[in-house]
Amino acid sequence: MDLIKITINNKSAEVSSELTVLQAARTMGIDIPALCYDESLEIFGACRMCIVEIEGNNKLQTSCSTLVKHGMVVTTESEKITKNRRAILQMLLDSHPNDCLTCQKAGECLLQEYAYKYGVAFRKHDGAMRPELIDTTSPYILRDNSKCILCGKCVLTCAQVNDRAVLSFAERGYDTRIIFSGDQSIEESACVSCNRCVSVCPVGALIDKRDIGKIRNWDGESKVVSCKACDYGCEFEVKSKNDKAISVVAKPPTNGRPLCLKGRLSTELKYLDNPDVPYKKLEDRFEETTWAEALEITEIVEKINKMANKEKE
Amino acid sequence: MQITINGKQYEIEETSTILSVCNDLGIEIPTLCYDERLVPSGSCRLCQVEIEGMKKLHTACTTNIKDNMVIHTHSPRVVKERQNLLDLLISNHPLECLNCEKSGDCKLQDYCYEYGISEGTYRWEQSKPKYDDTNPFYTFDSRKCILCGLCVRVCDELQGTTAIGFENRGFDTVVSTPFGDGLINSTCVSCGNCVSVCPVGALEPKKKIKARVWETKKVRTTCSYCGVGCQLDLIVKENQVVGVQPAMDAHNEGLLCVKGKFSYNFLSHPDRLKTPLIKKGGVFVEASWDEAYTLITDKMKSVKENHGGDGFAGLTSARCTNEDNYIFQKLFRSVLHTNNVDHCARL
Repeated sequence: MDLIKITINNKSAEVSSELTVLQAARTMGIDIPALCYDESLEIFGACRMCIVEIEGNNKLQTSCSTLVKHGMVVTTESEKITKNRRAILQMLLDSHPNDCLTCQKAGECLLQEYAYKYGVAFRKHDGAMRPELIDTTSPYILRDNSKCILCGKCVLTCAQVNDRAVLSFAERGYDTRIIFSGDQSIEESACVSCNRCVSVCPVGALIDKRDIGKIRNWDGESKVVSCKACDYGCEFEVKSKNDKAISVVAKPPTNGRPLCLKGRLSTELKYLDNPDVPYKKLEDRFEETTWAEALEITEIVEKINKMANKEKE
Repeated sequence: MQITINGKQYEIEETSTILSVCNDLGIEIPTLCYDERLVPSGSCRLCQVEIEGMKKLHTACTTNIKDNMVIHTHSPRVVKERQNLLDLLISNHPLECLNCEKSGDCKLQDYCYEYGISEGTYRWEQSKPKYDDTNPFYTFDSRKCILCGLCVRVCDELQGTTAIGFENRGFDTVVSTPFGDGLINSTCVSCGNCVSVCPVGALEPKKKIKARVWETKKVRTTCSYCGVGCQLDLIVKENQVVGVQPAMDAHNEGLLCVKGKFSYNFLSHPDRLKTPLIKKGGVFVEASWDEAYTLITDKMKSVKENHGGDGFAGLTSARCTNEDNYIFQKLFRSVLHTNNVDHCARL
């Protein structure tokens, strides 16, 4: 690994030549806004928020997809960059419903964070809006196409697990949208409700349905726990309010950690005071089920009961 | 007294309002205009409950408990009424939660989430906007005002300034200063107690550093401006103070003065002294505490030897604690042997 010298915002540092400008900036403690970048996903360059000025280049460059070079001089915040970021955000907001009032993502939504940072607001316009295609067929995931910003994170994270790749892009241009298994509803699709896509979605397009209406992101307390269902030890956030654990949501999967429904349900059962009824997926629909059946431990539970009765005798 | 709330029986010894009884029992009733320090006004109507044997819904904040009362705080009828009230409010409220400084700490937002009101369905006119940013410490935006009256009542009943009041009637009602002259021309003393009680984003402190509520944490501390010792919560983002909120559960009972509420920018000001300064050749030079103490004790010794105790005079500050001031006068009287000691608050 070669070390090279670069200068970002008048700060010089030696960084690995394998890093992108965005990664190098983060190692130097400089945060560049990005909606589609995720260190565990392949580089996509879709959102254009991470644009920076590089000396000797006329055009702004996306820092997530530009490798560092020796002697590079980078500026991450300038009037020109801000103007462009504001334009990008304004276009996204123009096609986004104004419902931060009750949106479950409010408080950890990246679009909201950057709109606040760069002072961009919703405005009235006569132009097109993304159509409202809300998919409520899954008890675990709520899909709201009108809030999607097409960052592609959900598609990429789903494709990282062998044999999944349920999500993909469909159509072109302004009509582009995310589909499940060749444009099926979530319950008809091959989706296994692992919630990887939900955990990486930067906006409210994919929401954990069991979290909705229970608690706002800024409310109560939250702790991160490791799932005990298998050796991967995926992380889940347990949210509590007034000393009651009320909701479990998946944290983004790191490399080699796939997330699964079984892990999520067992974490719910272990930590929540009053978990919602579990559902199991049949061929093309979800059905309410028992906890023993959802965790596939019916026989074990029966045996435990049998042994307990035996001990009593 | 025997009462029944939501199907559960309770024994109540003293009569008080339904709302305060429910608060004591841990039964949450939503309110926008209620404040236990103020005379109930019953204006927001959100605390309405159903009482068996009574036709209409009654506001819990103004109705006293009676023996054998059967109360429903969350019956379908009550919930429907609250949803309609919130719908009416949000229909005449700008949907700016995306950027609103109050977002995350707004009672209207909390209740809309709780009662599932995502937008206003009454699509008629919006009330005429009125802004007042003449005060150097806070701004008023009538578009976000829900006319709960908390600011007016705090200013009148607790602060005793009566700088603001209601103007006009009905849909045109707006919080205003006498003759609409603006806050800067009113009797307002900028105590900011109206800002502290505003449940929505209508009254907002002017901030130097942008911060969202969920990025901040609260740090309880004692105000250092005077000997009253008001308790306050510093609103802190990344180790920088971005706001102040008075503590309710302390002797200042949610009140502060202009200094406590708004004068915190000096905390991280670049001009702030961080080390003692010693005058060398007519210029103040930064020095260590050891250096400074050595200089002070040396000078004290020589003054005492040459001029005696009355060669000293001490003046201390109201910004120190009582204990500090006590020790200071003790030092002058019993160590330096002089009564030449005074305090700025006596002037």
